[in-house]
Amino acid sequence: MARTLLVVVLALLLFAALATLPLFLKAFYIRVGLSIFLSAGFAVCWWLLAGFTAYYSFGHTAFVGVGAFAAALTLRAVAAAAPGLQLAAGLLAGLVTAAVIAAAIAWPILRLRGHYFTIAMLAVALVLGEAVSAFPVFGGSAGLSLPNIAPSGMRVEAFFYWLALALLAIVMAIAWIISRSRLGYGLAAIREDEDAAQMLGVPTTRFKVVAFVLSGGLTGALGAVYALNLGYITTDSVFRGSLSLEMIVNSLVGGMGSLLGPVIGAAIMTGVTKLVLADLLEYHLAITGLLIVAVVLVAPDGVAGLWRRTRR
Amino acid sequence: MITLLQTLVNGVLYGGILSIAAVGFSLIFGVMNVINLAHGIFVIGGAYGALVAWSTLGIDPLASIPPLMLIAFILGWLCQRLVIQPAVQRGNPVAALLVTFGFTLVALNLLTVAFSSSVRSISPSYSFINLRLGDVSFDLVRLVAFACGLLLIGGLGSFLRFSRWGRIIRATALSELGARLCGVDARAVYALTFAVGSAFAAASGVLIGMMLPFTPAEEVTWTVYAFIVVTLGGVGSLGGAMLGGVLLGLVSALTQTYLGGVFTNMVMFLILLGTLLLRPNGILGSAFKASR
Amino acid sequence: MTALLSVEGLAAGYGGALAVRGLDFAVAEGSIAVLVGANGAGKTTTVQVIAGALRPSGGTVRFAGEAVTGRDCPVMVERGVTLVPEGRLIFSRMTVEENLKMGAINRRAARNLGRNLERVFTLFPRLAQRRHQFGGSMSGGEQQMLAIARGLMAEPRLMILDEPSLGLAPKIVAEMFGLIRQLNVEGITILLVEQNVRQSLQLADQAFVIEKGRVVLSGDGPTLLDEPFVRTAFLGL
Repeated sequence: MARTLLVVVLALLLFAALATLPLFLKAFYIRVGLSIFLSAGFAVCWWLLAGFTAYYSFGHTAFVGVGAFAAALTLRAVAAAAPGLQLAAGLLAGLVTAAVIAAAIAWPILRLRGHYFTIAMLAVALVLGEAVSAFPVFGGSAGLSLPNIAPSGMRVEAFFYWLALALLAIVMAIAWIISRSRLGYGLAAIREDEDAAQMLGVPTTRFKVVAFVLSGGLTGALGAVYALNLGYITTDSVFRGSLSLEMIVNSLVGGMGSLLGPVIGAAIMTGVTKLVLADLLEYHLAITGLLIVAVVLVAPDGVAGLWRRTRR
Repeated sequence: MITLLQTLVNGVLYGGILSIAAVGFSLIFGVMNVINLAHGIFVIGGAYGALVAWSTLGIDPLASIPPLMLIAFILGWLCQRLVIQPAVQRGNPVAALLVTFGFTLVALNLLTVAFSSSVRSISPSYSFINLRLGDVSFDLVRLVAFACGLLLIGGLGSFLRFSRWGRIIRATALSELGARLCGVDARAVYALTFAVGSAFAAASGVLIGMMLPFTPAEEVTWTVYAFIVVTLGGVGSLGGAMLGGVLLGLVSALTQTYLGGVFTNMVMFLILLGTLLLRPNGILGSAFKASR
Repeated sequence: MTALLSVEGLAAGYGGALAVRGLDFAVAEGSIAVLVGANGAGKTTTVQVIAGALRPSGGTVRFAGEAVTGRDCPVMVERGVTLVPEGRLIFSRMTVEENLKMGAINRRAARNLGRNLERVFTLFPRLAQRRHQFGGSMSGGEQQMLAIARGLMAEPRLMILDEPSLGLAPKIVAEMFGLIRQLNVEGITILLVEQNVRQSLQLADQAFVIEKGRVVLSGDGPTLLDEPFVRTAFLGL
């Protein structure tokens, strides 16, 4: 009990400290922080499903895209409202639409296991991406622009920095609470041996669907923030295979074994990309690729796993 | 009526190319249970190899297939031994997939630096010849590529069916432990499988390069198409890859003619999703691997 | 008689947990040795280590006087150790003949492929009839025969059989025990892992009872059949 309290207090202190950073940092570094929080948020959302159940989705960008376009279309409808209201409407639209879509496909798709689930999620992302650009209602091929909802007087990057940080905190809190709940233990049982879990009375289908819908919905909410921050979205920018891959890579680099893994991975990968490789744009991809290979071979349980191992 | 016939012909010819472009992926998936994200880069690498041979040395793309297959074989062997096998031994199924992705990024970067990201094409002297049979026209290049594809698939099939190493590969796919207890060095088999898969990817890339314009970033497309073909036809089966390829080619051609080009990819991906949900083991199931 | 195979202080297991710890036994050349023990006693782990399919975490394995601990399957097959595994692991979608050819891929046996095929087909006429049929399309008993035949193709000096009677009809089990004796008479040393304790002990020149990864009792087969512990634990008497 005391330990739980300690973790909560430490986490709150850390987030509070992070929240003060924009007061001191230059715009460029604030934007780096913002990117880290967004990619960490996405990675945690992906990890909500994969880390608990070992269902590796290859198409989570579907939910980013759905959230982004839902937010953009909603904001268009409520253009006259106050910015705060617009923000709430956009976030809610992203969350709900992505969750509804996740719920709609959950039952058929979660029957598939292993590589088949992985590929099916890729297919979902591809179909949705193509649909958004094929039908003019979505404006996917031409793109949609979003209004600037940052309060006047506040620096835009700082506003999104705080917004992304807050969402990351929420997503992490949800994941943390789940990991200590009956749902979390059931999901872990599914990861170890789904058939055995089912025989032991874990309602495997229901638990998987809950994890999937939560994961998809939260990804959609973050997708709305992602879109608002971009200001202008196209199919290619939000239904992007590399977004799905980044979630996987960040989680594996950081380590699948704990909630901190995806966050650490996102911090390392995004940090390296934005800070170290900023001057090496031409070889950016190759260095990222080498980094991935190196991490998989040297630290198979991710950086978090490596740290645990050296401490033992 | 003529449109339909022409569309079907185009579909089958394109399907043949899709088949040959997927067999390497299918072999690696079926034998090693590794989703090889580097597949597309070997395909596109083959196209660039043929481009270099044609534009600098004046070698006909078809003649460049054997040496390019050899180069891809060696590269694939090294890639498997140095990077993928160590990842496979980590025991995490996604580890292998991730290193193939890492390898792809490196290769993609090098290709882009070497050739820029602009669109290239190979057009040997016979590229613009059109044959007519009644009212249906055939691109000579597509016909040649189709025939070459069939020849290559036939060659791979005979290798797997009749040769000693082919038998060893099939046995290892069916039961790794069973094969090891016979004295098979499973790591050598996996290296060979990956090398053969890479060689066939490169060969298909040459054929693709003769028919279609290409850029380094196209690699994603060919990995995804291989995915779809293999899912449709069934993992690890050459017959499945051929059936899946032709079906996909027909779907693509029919959608393009009757619904419009914007819908071709969407319909293809929908078919992938539908197959997965209804028949996850593909239409033919698996020829030498029990369903997982 | 000298020991063809000896195992000293063996420790092994999967993923951290040791199924076998401090196991010792030796098999004399030309004998039939039997390992018996309850489910999970570590029998399969032991024979997989001997065959080179699993790396031990401690101890030594000697074969024909040489230390071969931790050598890979290809090396062990080449030296003359063949394991007919639990669950048979035949290649279901390959023909009987292809399965047999796979048994003979080591360099030593590959030279005599034709002669060995003939010998195996004389020994198992059923397999000769089904030569071009898929291995997986045959009955359980036939598949077990195929697994043994595939093992013979490697020309083993020591043949290890892991639970060969599992799931077979009594008549076929009897047939198989007869076959094992015949192979032994022809000069192959046999190490048999069995849950069918009564029949296998009747056959055994040497027998070892394993519990929790150690040998707790050993002796010749008939003696062990009279042991009170064996009678209560395995024969239900």
